[in-house]
Amino acid sequence: MSRWLRMWRALLKTQWTWTRGMLLGAAVLVFAMPLLSVRTAAGVDTEVAFIRMVQRWGVGYAIVAGALGLFVAIAAWSSDHRLKHIYALSLPIARWRYVLMRFLAGAVLLLLPMAALLAGAVVASHNASIPATLRAYPFALTFRFLFAALVAYAIVFAVSAGTERTARYILAMIGLFFVAQLVLISVGSHFDLSGHVADVLFARPGLLSVFSGRWSLIDV
Amino acid sequence: MCFAVETRDLRFSPGKGFEISDLNMHVPSGSVYGFLGPNGAGKTTTIRLLLGLLPPSAGSIAVLGEAMPSRHARVMARTGYVPERPHVYPTLTVTEALELHAAFHERWDQAWAGTLLRDFRLPGGRRVGAMSKGETGKLMMLLALAQRPDLLVLDEPTDGLDPVVRRDVLEALLGYVASCNATVLISSHLVHELERICDWIGLMDRGSLIAELPMEQFRGGIKRLAVIDAGEAKEAPFTVLARRPSAAGGEDWLVRGWSSDMRGYFGSHGATLRSVIDLDLEEGFVELLRSFREVA
Repeated sequence: MSRWLRMWRALLKTQWTWTRGMLLGAAVLVFAMPLLSVRTAAGVDTEVAFIRMVQRWGVGYAIVAGALGLFVAIAAWSSDHRLKHIYALSLPIARWRYVLMRFLAGAVLLLLPMAALLAGAVVASHNASIPATLRAYPFALTFRFLFAALVAYAIVFAVSAGTERTARYILAMIGLFFVAQLVLISVGSHFDLSGHVADVLFARPGLLSVFSGRWSLIDV
Repeated sequence: MCFAVETRDLRFSPGKGFEISDLNMHVPSGSVYGFLGPNGAGKTTTIRLLLGLLPPSAGSIAVLGEAMPSRHARVMARTGYVPERPHVYPTLTVTEALELHAAFHERWDQAWAGTLLRDFRLPGGRRVGAMSKGETGKLMMLLALAQRPDLLVLDEPTDGLDPVVRRDVLEALLGYVASCNATVLISSHLVHELERICDWIGLMDRGSLIAELPMEQFRGGIKRLAVIDAGEAKEAPFTVLARRPSAAGGEDWLVRGWSSDMRGYFGSHGATLRSVIDLDLEEGFVELLRSFREVA
């Protein structure tokens, strides 16, 4: 086994130790979500009502994907932060390689809930009585979930990997945003700052656009 | 002489009124170098600079012949490090911590790690965070030793350990040094402990290295002289580190480089040498520190 692979596997194991409870919980949850979504839609009269019932679960997938990315990224760094990075910095490896290995290990761990979602979505698609005009998209839903989780993971990982000063700058920017919003409201301006920021982030091709739009296992 | 660690005009200014200034440190290869200093002297900061954990503001560092921090990975592959506070992930078990460490160190000696694990009576299945201070100290020493390093950097490795654990840890350390002629840089304020094991001493205070000399020279060369009718110490064959009035009358001189054939110096200068007092390492350390602070 190559030296780098051996190191990466060792780091993967530490991250698995820190996140396995959360990952297994998320896996159970996302396995159940497609099954529950088609079950709640069973028995409705029209295709439109069927789609609407299934789509109600869409925001749930986005929230779980975001939360999963967030927590896996935080867990990747929390032990190093607690130890002031002394152990990591004393390893015989360049810092960028260490960061890359940690990142890849977390990204690989996200495949577990993704696999659970795919299994749940495939089982739900095969067992549900879907109206003839509608189709199931288990793979599209799963890859969208994975992509959203990876986006959240990458953003939080990058922020967590930075120094305390970086975190302070980001917090200061967020604080500045709220202050600006309050100033605009207090002077009676009709400029919708938060709406513009939300558009930039969540509308295509915004950084977080994967979280918006339709998340549905079953669609036209 | 070949040096395992060498710094030239090393500076580090983290702010908050503290700085490492113009540090010129030389740790001879194969030596056990005791790094002494009071709390807050800058020992831990210096060690972190040496190992590339902090970036220096100016000056140069060479560790095992490699420039630091640019060759950090190469140096750390040959260096065992025991930091001041436990640095092993507390959520891992002892066995998991060993596996993680082994994956990163190509010279890891699995058989010896197993032997040390037994000798130190460490429970492989226990979480690091649930271990006692003594057990954690032994685990960190085990990790540093089993990677078979050429240089061991130990920052207060026995601080807070009970005498039995301390003896176990130091025995393992000295056994390793004896078997493969490794260099040890050990920081401590347990002066008597260093006196027993070190052959070189570096004294640090307020970010400066105030003395660096072989232990023999330190032990034999630093004396307290009780002098009466002392004038100026002109052309003295020894170095006067400090002079202060004595409670018994006359003056106490703290000198370095003393030998008994220098007694005649006082008679030829109209003074009387009443007594010569040997200082142990701790007294010498305290006196040196005091004289440095008086000058500063």
